[in-house]
Amino acid sequence: MGDTGRLTALSNWMTVPAEHPVACQVAETVTALDFKHRVKEWVDFLSTQEGSRWAVYHDDSVEFLAIVFALWQLGKTACVPGDNLPSTVERLKNCVAGYIGHFPAGLVLEDTPYVEQKSVAGVSWAVVERDYPALEIYTSGSTGEPKPIIKTLAQLELEIETLEAQWPSRQNCLILSTVSHQHFYGMIFRLLWPLSVGQPFLRFSCEYIEDVFYAAQSHASYALISSPSHLARIKTVVDWHKLKGECCYVISSAAPLSLEDSINTAVSLKTCVREIYGSSETGAIAWRAQNELGVDALWQALPKVRVSASPEGALVVSAPYLASSAAMTLSDLVELSPNKKFKLNGRIDKIVKVEGKRVSLVAIERLLQKSDWIKAVKALVLNRKRIETAVVVLLTELGERHFQTIGKKVFINSLREQLLDHFELVVIPRRWRFVEQMPYNPQGKLPMGVLEKLFDKQLVKWPTIENSEIAPSSVVLKCYVPTDLMYFDGHFDDFPILPGVVQTYWAEKFGRDMLSVDGCFKRLEAVKFVSIIHPDSRFSLTLEYNKVKKVLLFKYESESELSSSGRICFE
Amino acid sequence: MSELHKEIKKMIIDCLDLEDIDVEDINDDSPLFVEGLGLDSIDALEIGLMLQKKYGIKLESDSEATRQYFASVNSLVALVSSNRVN
Repeated sequence: MGDTGRLTALSNWMTVPAEHPVACQVAETVTALDFKHRVKEWVDFLSTQEGSRWAVYHDDSVEFLAIVFALWQLGKTACVPGDNLPSTVERLKNCVAGYIGHFPAGLVLEDTPYVEQKSVAGVSWAVVERDYPALEIYTSGSTGEPKPIIKTLAQLELEIETLEAQWPSRQNCLILSTVSHQHFYGMIFRLLWPLSVGQPFLRFSCEYIEDVFYAAQSHASYALISSPSHLARIKTVVDWHKLKGECCYVISSAAPLSLEDSINTAVSLKTCVREIYGSSETGAIAWRAQNELGVDALWQALPKVRVSASPEGALVVSAPYLASSAAMTLSDLVELSPNKKFKLNGRIDKIVKVEGKRVSLVAIERLLQKSDWIKAVKALVLNRKRIETAVVVLLTELGERHFQTIGKKVFINSLREQLLDHFELVVIPRRWRFVEQMPYNPQGKLPMGVLEKLFDKQLVKWPTIENSEIAPSSVVLKCYVPTDLMYFDGHFDDFPILPGVVQTYWAEKFGRDMLSVDGCFKRLEAVKFVSIIHPDSRFSLTLEYNKVKKVLLFKYESESELSSSGRICFE
Repeated sequence: MSELHKEIKKMIIDCLDLEDIDVEDINDDSPLFVEGLGLDSIDALEIGLMLQKKYGIKLESDSEATRQYFASVNSLVALVSSNRVN
């Protein structure tokens, strides 16, 4: 692809004129010259580093792009995760040479003051190879571990070319966004497409929809790249009619936008709302704009995208910017109409096996959803002592009230009974989590990892205190030792006993909490472990604190027999 | 509730990792499977293993006698105490 009209190919982008706008930051414009300086800094730095794959995470879109462009200049791969959480950093550990940007110990380069900027006039920029794996992104992980997706510049350029053919860009229209560029949708719509056509983008994300309002105030025309979670709030927060600037268009993707929210957004911003259907794997596939209440508009395939249905009724797509020339079957059910239009009829049922029995999680969800106690529900499979199903439930107000009145056990039981009419006992959810909000991430997805976390066992670290007598400098605690105390694990398998180190740790902790013991632990004195403390037993713990000497005496006794005693000295 | 009743109920809860159920919620004589506690065939296997590990009781799988022992907490208590006497 060469220059077609105002469109500059990403692979040859470094040749754009110096005054070409890139981004805005409040009232300042970042020009191509500023941007190229930054790319040069990163090229100089990264060319001294070994390794061809680098993880990139940066809040500032300009800096993010400069890093990515520098990597491309050097023929390296930018691995762009959706977040910079510790688990993500850990997951990438073995597949990248290092981390650039906002990671713990990520590489960053100081901003060079303008006067010290080296001239980029004489730099001979590389035309980037279009067919090597330039970008690696990751699936959202809503169906399990995030999986890598490779993109070449040819794929990115072809997708941008398709979008530009469908919706020719408007000069000087500032791109505002509530979605992160760390995800593919944001990266294309908010950064790479605007960059290719010289349409400036706002340097930072608008975290709240209110931020969009303030950012748009100083501009004559703007466009908004957003998602349903933000657009759902558009009507309630600010008076959009006070904005003088013109909103050229709104784009929504990442999750289904409700018909009502779509119309509300269109009315509030006096513009058209284009919903995009696609995925990180496929890129943008189809679009629609709602125009009347009560009638869901059909999806329309983008130019050069072909749609069909598989024998099972799933949507099959082919597009020039897919990784392979073969058509790809997606997991949404489709109903085709003439002229490349179609209707989506929900996800293809995900059949899972629970202890050998096949069950559809969607069917469990659908049945529970029928209850007027339940507003939203997500079913999942947990692999613990056995394979079992579990559900995360958001209650309606009515459900909330019943829950309070009849209690959790009875409440769950009556929902279980409704399921029993339709499902075998083995596949009925065993674990129920009632949440105040479904844990959607900023991209509007429910990541499996977050859902699974809701079912993590709370580690039992403390005895159950059944009675306590607290005096100014001493305390007597009557305690029960739970069998599932974490310290019994492996200590020992056939003969669990409470370790001595845990006894001193508890004594210190309760001393600090109840007797205002302070200072640093110095040493243990006269420690005796006389008899063993077993699981499912009771003991009394006596603590005495000598504030002057800073010494805490502890004594564990079970049924008048001494278990252990000693002194902890502080300084 | 005898100590053994309590012990067996606790064993069932711990061994099956049951949630939202306490010792007090399990009736001595109501059925453990399907109705009542709502346990299933895989739970029965787990309980069988536990009986063997904890009390040295070996059960033939799928025999009528086994099915009767698994009817309720009461019948499990009877099984365990008769094995203790022998």
